[in-house]
Amino acid sequence: MRLLNPQKLNELQRNPNRVRNICILAHVDHGKTTLADSLVATNGIISPKMAGKLRYMDSRKDEQERGITMKSSSIALLHNKGGEEYLVNLIDSPGHVDFASEVSTAVRLCDGAVVVVDVVEGVCPQTQAALKQAWLENIRPVLVLNKMDRLILEMKLSPLDAYVHLTQILEQVNAVMGELFTSEVLGRTVPEKSQSQIDPDKASSLLYDWSAGLEDADDSHLYFSPDQGNVIFASAVDGWGFGIEHFAKLYADKLGVNEKVLQKTLWGDFYLHGKTKRVMKGAQEKAKKPLFVQFALENLWAVYDTVVIRKEKDKLQKIADSLNIKLTVRDMRHTDGKVQLQALCGQWLPLAKTLLDMVCTKLPAPCEITEEKAEKLMCSATERFDSLPSDTQKLKSVFMACSSDEDAPVIVFISKMFPMERRCLPQYRSHPLTAAEIAERREKTRLQHAQRLAQSETPFSVEGTHLLSSGDQMKIEEQKEQEQNDADAFIAFARVFSGTIKKGQELYVLGPKHEPQSALEKLESGEVINPDLTLKDLKSGQHITRVKIDQLYLLMGRELETLDSVPAGNVFGIGGLEEHVLKSATLSSTVACPAFTELAQVVVPIVRVAVEPTHAQDMAALVRGLRLLNQADACVQVIVQETGEHVLVTAGEVHLQRCLDDLRERYAKVAINASEPIVPFRETVVVPPTVDMVNEAIQDQNTASKDGDKENAGEVITLSTSNKHSTIKIRAAPLPTEVTSLLEVHADLLKAVDKHIHSEAGQQNSEMFEDSLSESQMVLTERTLKAIETLKEKLKDAFSSAGDEWKCAESQIWSVGPRRCGPNILLNRIPAYDHPSVWQRLRGSDRRLEYDSSFVNGFQLATLAGPLCEEPMMGVCFIVEDWTLAEETQLDHPSSRSPGSEHNDPSAAAKPGSIPGNLSLSACQAPSAILPESLLSQPYGPFSGQIMSAVKEGCRKAFQARPQRLMAAMYSCNIQVNAEALGKMYAVLGRRHGRVLHGDMQEGSSTFTVTAVLPVVESFEFAPEIRKQTSGLASPQLVFSHWEVIDIDPFWTPHTEEEYLHYGEKADSGNRARRYMDAVRRRKGLAVQEKLVEFAEKQRTLSKNK
Amino acid sequence: TKMSKIFTPTNQIRLTNVAVVRMKKGGKRFEIACYRNKVVSWRNNIETDIDEVLQTHTVFTNVSKGQVAKKEDLIKAFGKDDQTDVCKEILTKGELQVSDKERQSQFELLFKDIATTVADKCVNPETKRPYPVSMIEKAMKDAHISYYYTFGIPLMQALDVIPLLKATMPLERAQMKIRAVLSGRDARKLRDKVAKLATSLESEDWDGGKLNLVCLIDPGHYREVDEIVRSETKGHGLLELMSLKEVTEGEELLE
Repeated sequence: MRLLNPQKLNELQRNPNRVRNICILAHVDHGKTTLADSLVATNGIISPKMAGKLRYMDSRKDEQERGITMKSSSIALLHNKGGEEYLVNLIDSPGHVDFASEVSTAVRLCDGAVVVVDVVEGVCPQTQAALKQAWLENIRPVLVLNKMDRLILEMKLSPLDAYVHLTQILEQVNAVMGELFTSEVLGRTVPEKSQSQIDPDKASSLLYDWSAGLEDADDSHLYFSPDQGNVIFASAVDGWGFGIEHFAKLYADKLGVNEKVLQKTLWGDFYLHGKTKRVMKGAQEKAKKPLFVQFALENLWAVYDTVVIRKEKDKLQKIADSLNIKLTVRDMRHTDGKVQLQALCGQWLPLAKTLLDMVCTKLPAPCEITEEKAEKLMCSATERFDSLPSDTQKLKSVFMACSSDEDAPVIVFISKMFPMERRCLPQYRSHPLTAAEIAERREKTRLQHAQRLAQSETPFSVEGTHLLSSGDQMKIEEQKEQEQNDADAFIAFARVFSGTIKKGQELYVLGPKHEPQSALEKLESGEVINPDLTLKDLKSGQHITRVKIDQLYLLMGRELETLDSVPAGNVFGIGGLEEHVLKSATLSSTVACPAFTELAQVVVPIVRVAVEPTHAQDMAALVRGLRLLNQADACVQVIVQETGEHVLVTAGEVHLQRCLDDLRERYAKVAINASEPIVPFRETVVVPPTVDMVNEAIQDQNTASKDGDKENAGEVITLSTSNKHSTIKIRAAPLPTEVTSLLEVHADLLKAVDKHIHSEAGQQNSEMFEDSLSESQMVLTERTLKAIETLKEKLKDAFSSAGDEWKCAESQIWSVGPRRCGPNILLNRIPAYDHPSVWQRLRGSDRRLEYDSSFVNGFQLATLAGPLCEEPMMGVCFIVEDWTLAEETQLDHPSSRSPGSEHNDPSAAAKPGSIPGNLSLSACQAPSAILPESLLSQPYGPFSGQIMSAVKEGCRKAFQARPQRLMAAMYSCNIQVNAEALGKMYAVLGRRHGRVLHGDMQEGSSTFTVTAVLPVVESFEFAPEIRKQTSGLASPQLVFSHWEVIDIDPFWTPHTEEEYLHYGEKADSGNRARRYMDAVRRRKGLAVQEKLVEFAEKQRTLSKNK
Repeated sequence: TKMSKIFTPTNQIRLTNVAVVRMKKGGKRFEIACYRNKVVSWRNNIETDIDEVLQTHTVFTNVSKGQVAKKEDLIKAFGKDDQTDVCKEILTKGELQVSDKERQSQFELLFKDIATTVADKCVNPETKRPYPVSMIEKAMKDAHISYYYTFGIPLMQALDVIPLLKATMPLERAQMKIRAVLSGRDARKLRDKVAKLATSLESEDWDGGKLNLVCLIDPGHYREVDEIVRSETKGHGLLELMSLKEVTEGEELLE
C-alpha cells in the first residue's frame, strides 16, 4: 500500500513549509542505506520485515554485490507528524571515498543532512568529509548515532560504559564541527580587517584581535546535543531509534518531574536523587548513574539481554505487555531472537518515525534558505557578489522567497545526469489493459489471422506480398522500438529554487560557464538564442540553449512517476535533456540568472587508464560510450591525448571498475581493453646526497672524481640558439620545500593572477594596461587580492628562512610552471635585465622583452615534461644567470624573410619535446625528403621558436646536471583492523613500500586505527590483498594526500665496497625508482635501457638433440 | 619401444649455448665464444661487464673444434697478443651470430617501428586524430601482418601496411595542406589538374588572373602537384607547404 498518491503529492509540493529535502551522509558502512530502508518501509514501498536487508536504494547490480552504494538517488516519502503531513525528499548518498563527487551532487540539492556515525568506529575520514561538505554548502545537519546494538552484543559494554563511550563519540563529532566553524570565522575576518585599514575613522580597530571574531560569532546552534533534539540513538538494522524526548515524555509522568526539565537533564551529568526525587547535577563526581543510563540505556540493555542473549520467551511477552505492544503469534514463535527483537523494538521505539519527526522539526524547509546560502549559490568565493549585474543581484530575493507563483522567475538547478533504462520510464511501462483495449486487440489478431489464411490460399496474389511486406515492416519497427528501449535515457537530477516548472514550458539552459553579464549584453545587442541549438552546436563562449520541457518525474528510488508540474522547493527529475546538459546546468526563465557555483570537489581524480576497443572498428562506439559516461558521472574525466589515446581519469580503483563495467555493459556495449593504470609521477632535483645507499658517508675524493667537472662548469649550462644569436646561462636548484608546498596549495590563486594580471601582457599599449588593470582588480575580490599579498609574504618568509642563497628570490620570480601555476619557479638573475616579477604586469623597453614570452614558454614546456620520463617537474627552480641577444639587424633578418613558413614551424617547435630514439627518427626523415626547397632555405625557423627550444633544452640539461629524483604520488590510507590481523597488515604495507604514520588502539575495543601512506603506484589490488591477508578484518580507504621524493637515484647502481656487500654486484633487490621510471618510459614508447638477459650463466642450456 | 632412453649425464659439454662472433683479418679467421643474447647488449653499451659476455677470454680459430688461435697470428693480424683486448675488438667489429632473444627483440623493434610510423602517418578520418600505437599494433596482428622483411626502412613497410589495415579499421593517411599560387592564361586549366589530385579544397581566391588555392592532398600526390605547378607554369607558379599533416592537435577534454 503506497501512501503517496498524486493528488496529495501535488498538494504537499505546493506548500514549501511542508517539504524537506534531506540527504544521508556518512562514512562507508556506517549504515546509510540501511537507515534509508527503514524510512522507505514507512511508506509501504517495501516490507518493514525486509528493511535493512533489501537495500532498496542500491538499485545497481554491482552495488548489491559489493554492498556499497555507488550513486546518490532520491526518493519522495510522506510523513505524518502529529496530524501534519510532510513530503520528505530523501537522498541516499555513497560513503566510499571514490564516490565523493556523488555526495556533492546530493548535498547541493538539500537543505538538511542526516549524518550517520557508527558508534563503534566513531568519526572516520569520510564522516569528517561529509560534515565539511554539509558545512560548505550551508546545510544544517542532524546526527544519528547508529549501530547501538554493537555496543551491547559485540563490545558487551555495560550501560554506564556505553554512556561514556557515547559522550566521547559525540565530542569527536562536535570537535569536527567546531574546527569547521573556527576556520570559517577566521576566514571571514580577513576582509573585514582590510576594510578597517582602508577606513581612517576606524583607526582603533586596527588592533584587530583574531579571537574577537570567534567570540562575536554565535556557535551554540552548531553543535550536536541530545537535549537540543538533534541527536538520535539508533540501530538501523534492528529498526529502532530514539531521541531523549521519547524517554523524557515517558518518565515525566512516572517521576512527576517537569518534562522540560527532564528534556534538559536526561543527557548529561545529572542523576536522580533517590529520596527527594529531584534531578541533581554531578553524577560522575558522586558515582551515581546518570539519568540517561538509568532510564534509557538500562531498559534497552534489559530487552536485549532477555530477547537475544537469554531468549526468555515468557518474559518477552511480559515486556511487550508492559509497553503496550502487541506481538503477532508468528513473531513469538520464531526461533531467532533477532526477529522478535526487531518486532518489539520496531513498535516500541520506531526509528523511522523518530527520525522523520526530527527531520521535520529540526531541519529547515526550502523556503527558509539563508541569505548567505543564496549568495554562495550565485557567485563563487573568489569573486564579489556585487560584481554581478544588477538584474542578477535582484534574483537573490527570489531565491529567498521560494515562491511557486506563476510570475516568479523559474530557477532550476541540475546537479547531475543519471542514466535510467528507457523501459523503466513511466511512459513506457506496461499498464493494465482496459476492457476496450482488450477487445480491440482481439479484433486485430482475428483480422491478422484471417489475412494469413487468405494469403496461404492465394500465395501469388499481389495483395499477399503486400501484406507480407507490411508485416515485415511491423517487425522492423518493433525491433527498432526494442533497441530504443534498451538504450538509456538520461534523467536530470534537479531542484526548483524558484517558480514552477511545467511540462511544455520553454526555458533557457545555462551551462556551468554561463556569465549573466556578457549574456545580457549579447541579448541587448539583439542576439537571439536559436531554439534548435543543442550542446553540440555551441561554440566557445556560448553557454545558453533553449529547451522545451518534455518530461517531469517524481524520483522514487528505483522508479519514476510522471508529473505535470513541479513547484519551488522540490527535488525532481527531468527527462529529455541529453542534448542540452552535459553534467550540470541551470534552467531558468531569465538569462540574468547566474550559473550555480561549481560543486565543491573533495576528491582529486588520480587513477588514469587508457581505454581502447578490442576491435578497431568499434572505436566510434567507444567514443560515444565515453561521452555518455562522462555525462553520467560528475567525477569522470575523459581526455583525448595528442597521440589519440583516450584516457579515462577516475577517483579510485573501485570507481574505475564501475566506470569500465558501465562502459562495457551500458554505454558503449563493445569489448574494451583498459591499460594498466597510468600513475602520475613528478620529477625533481635534490641537493647532492651526503650518504650512499648503505648510509656510508660519501667520501670527498669520490665525489670529486665523479662530478668534479660538474662543480666547475657542469652545473651552469650555457646554450645558444641554433642561429647563434642568443646565449643563455641557466642553472637548476631544488626549491625549499615550504616554497614548493606554498605554490602547490595556491595553484588556483596563481592561476587567477595569471588570468587577470597577465591576460593582456602581450600588448605594449601602456594606457590600456591602466584600464584593464583596474578592471581586473575589480573582478578579483578584496579577499583574493589580500590572499595574493599574504602569499607573497609567506613566500618571502619561506625564502628568507631557507638561507642566503635565496635572498630576495620572491621578487625575482619570473614565472611559475608548468601551465603557469605549477610548483616550479623560473628565477630572473640576469644582470641588468629589469623584468618585473610575476606579480606585476610587463612594461618597459628592454629589447629582450619582445622575446620574453618565448623564454617563459620554453620554461613552461621544460617543466611540463622532464628528462627522466617526460613527467611534469616539481619543486625545481631554474635560475637564469645570463641572457644575451645579438644585434638587432641580424635578428630581424631571418624572421622577415619567409612569413609563410610560420604556419609550419611554430607548431613543430611547440611540441613538448622531440622524442628521443628511433621513434621520432622515422618521422623526421620522411618530411625532410619531400620538403620543398623554399622551406629548406630558411634553416632555423622564427627566432622566437628558437629561443623557446633553447630555453627548454637548457632547462633539461641543467636539470640533468643535478642529482635527479622521481616523486611518487602518495595515498594516505586509514585502516581499521583487528588486533590479530595487525601483523599481517603491516606485512602487506611493508611489501608495498608503505609507511605507517601512527596506529592507535580504539577506546574500549580491540580494533586499531592505523594511518599509513602508500605510493599510488603500489596501491593496485591493495584493498583485495589486505582483505585476503587479514581474512577480511582490515578494510582500507585510500585518499590522495601528497607527493613524496623517492630517495633513490634512478640511475644508481652499486659502486662502493659496502654497497657491493649489501646489494651484490647487480643490485638484486632492484632499483625501485628505476623500475618506475622504466615502466613509464616503456608506456610512453621512449627508449629504455634494458638487458635482454640479466645473467648470462643462468640461461637454459639446450642439448643438441633436444 | 616404450622404454624411453635413460638420461645419462655426459662429461662433454656441448657448445649449444655459445654465440660465436667471427672476424676475418689478415687472411685468417678468428672466433670468440660468447654467451647467447649478450653480444648485442654489449654493443649497445647496456652490458658493461665483459665477463657476462665472454665465455672465456680466449681467441679461437674454430670455437666448435676448440682450436685456439696462435699467438703469432694474433700479433700479425691485430698487432697485439692480449687475449682480452683482441676479444673486445672482435666483439665490436666481428660478424655476429644473432641469438634467439636478440632476433626476437629485433623483430619486435621493427614491428613497433612500423606501427609507430603508421600511427604517425595516419589518422582516424572521423576524428582527424591519430590512433594510439598500441591499437595499430593490435590491428596489425589481427590482420596477420608479420614483419616480412627483416631489414629495410620502416617507412616503406608502413606504406605497404596501410592499405591492409584500411580493410579492418577506418584509417586514412593524414593529409598535407598546400597553397598554390597560379597565374597566367593556363591558371584555370592548372587549377582543375591540381583539384583532381586534391582530396578537398579549403579555399579558392581569384584575384585578377591570379589564383590562390589552399587544398588538402594525399602526401603521395605531392610530387605530381609539384611537377604540375613547377613545369607547366614555367616557374611563375608558387607551391607552398602549409603543414605536413593535418591532424587535430593538443589534448582535448571529451565533452
